[in-house]
Amino acid sequence: MVRTTVEVEQEETKSDSDSKIQSKKSDKKRKKKSSEFEFCKVCRLNHDQGQRHRYFPNHKKSLSIFFSRFQTKLADVRFFLKNPTLLRPEHASRNRLWCVFCDSDIDELGSSFACSNAINHLASKSHLKNLRHFLWKYGGGMDCIDNFRILEADVAKWEKKCNSLKSGAVSSKEASHGPVLGPSNDIHNELNYVNVNSYTNSSKHSIDSRISSGIMPLQNHTNEYQVSNSGPFEVANAGLYSEDFTSNLPLETYSGTSSLNLNVLKGIQNLTQIFVPEVAGGNVHTGAPPPWFEAVEESQVNVGVQPVLGSFATSSSKSGKSKKLNPKRVGAAWAEKRKMELEMEKRGELVNNECDANWLPNFGRVWQSGSRRESRKEFELEKQKVLKLETQPEEPRLKLKVEIQPEEPIKIQPYISKRMVRLKFPLHCMFSISP
Amino acid sequence: MCYLLRTLTKKQEVDSIIRDTIDKVLVLRFGRASDSACLHLDDVLCKSAREVSKFASVALVDIDSEDVQVYVKYFDITFIPSTIFFFNAHHMKMDSGTADHTKWVGAFHQKQDFIDVVEAIFRGAMKGKLIVNCPLPPERIPKYQLLYKDV
Repeated sequence: MVRTTVEVEQEETKSDSDSKIQSKKSDKKRKKKSSEFEFCKVCRLNHDQGQRHRYFPNHKKSLSIFFSRFQTKLADVRFFLKNPTLLRPEHASRNRLWCVFCDSDIDELGSSFACSNAINHLASKSHLKNLRHFLWKYGGGMDCIDNFRILEADVAKWEKKCNSLKSGAVSSKEASHGPVLGPSNDIHNELNYVNVNSYTNSSKHSIDSRISSGIMPLQNHTNEYQVSNSGPFEVANAGLYSEDFTSNLPLETYSGTSSLNLNVLKGIQNLTQIFVPEVAGGNVHTGAPPPWFEAVEESQVNVGVQPVLGSFATSSSKSGKSKKLNPKRVGAAWAEKRKMELEMEKRGELVNNECDANWLPNFGRVWQSGSRRESRKEFELEKQKVLKLETQPEEPRLKLKVEIQPEEPIKIQPYISKRMVRLKFPLHCMFSISP
Repeated sequence: MCYLLRTLTKKQEVDSIIRDTIDKVLVLRFGRASDSACLHLDDVLCKSAREVSKFASVALVDIDSEDVQVYVKYFDITFIPSTIFFFNAHHMKMDSGTADHTKWVGAFHQKQDFIDVVEAIFRGAMKGKLIVNCPLPPERIPKYQLLYKDV
């Protein structure tokens, strides 16, 4: 019996190995098939070129667009990495990131800081692995690997900041009955923030947390929505909003929610109605940044949606334009090269390589025949001669004239325009050239 | 007039505007803001800069600044105002029946003259031509004489 079981096991292992071989074969077949036709998610294209597809100019172009689009999203994440901010549950659904390398959607539901899941994901090993695989598969160079992930040292710093922010938030909640300036200033002092944006964010959050402990949740929600969304349009909203107040809500409920307004509200009613949303964001007296700064900040808060649309529009318009242009136009190669350089500079990939101070464009000079490059060379020669002159100041000038003159009369070939010949202008009238 | 258009005073600025104007005609006016002919030309340029903005950009270069002397020499500028055209960092010549085909010397009589010239250059450049014929009738082209090395 024992033998038989062993035999059976052996047979099983045999059959296993057979099946493995078979599966390997089928894998190979699959690979062959896939090399025949595979989907390039950068170009969004099915192709049968295999690995050499990634060297195609079209692929490279779309890869650079692909990268730049993801970079803009990452810039937002990096902003929150530098300035950790509390994330309220209402905004959690909007704060998400699609990781193009891992093909996964990273949402922030249940996380207390903005982009915390995204930051953890971008620092994770699985992301690194996927990123490496992506770069290997679609090209792009391993040297840009750090552009698309977050280093663990940064994450550690971020976590430290988060912890201190948490403690600050807790203290602000405890001191929620005090004036607005108090807790936000504490946070300011604790963390030694340099960035003004983060300062406003934290102060706003402290206010919001205070408000949410107040009476009317629905009304607060709309209030926050308006404040967070409308930077420049605040005044317009304020009008609508104050109407709501006067019609639906008695003044006392609102004044109960914000202690700062109380004194003002008792005084003049009209003025306070206009001031309501502004005070929630802070004003000149509380040291908040002006609205035009806030507008920038809001655009950074709304992760991803607008920049993507913008880049789509620009890329489509660019491609449409380039189709129209004549490939044989003057300086077409230069234009393409320069465009690529500018694009790279915009993305910050290429270090800004300025042309040297002696750069000159090609220019066909007046008394010069031949190509335009030649006249530039001639000019550079002249300049060198002049420099030599300056270095030898004692030399008599007559000598130099003697040196230069024999060369140049040969070169005097002013352009005689066909038009002038056609119009039969007498040559000697127009020119007075020394023989 | 000069404050209405971008005025360049450094060589690097001129470099960068030549290099970064892509698929557009670059109109560089070399001159002095106080000169009367320059004033007339600047008036024409700044009034029509917006109208040609889709295919051309206009900039002024102050020839009195030390830093652009190299360009003044390189472009053989002897009269002001002189207007030089570039397309994709390539110099565009114009055959207008005058002695100098490398630049436009003098002011344009009207806005429309300037627009026509820039358009002719743009169309020529888009067809790959480095020199174009002047679309203006000869009576509207300013006349001048060129002397070789002041001889």
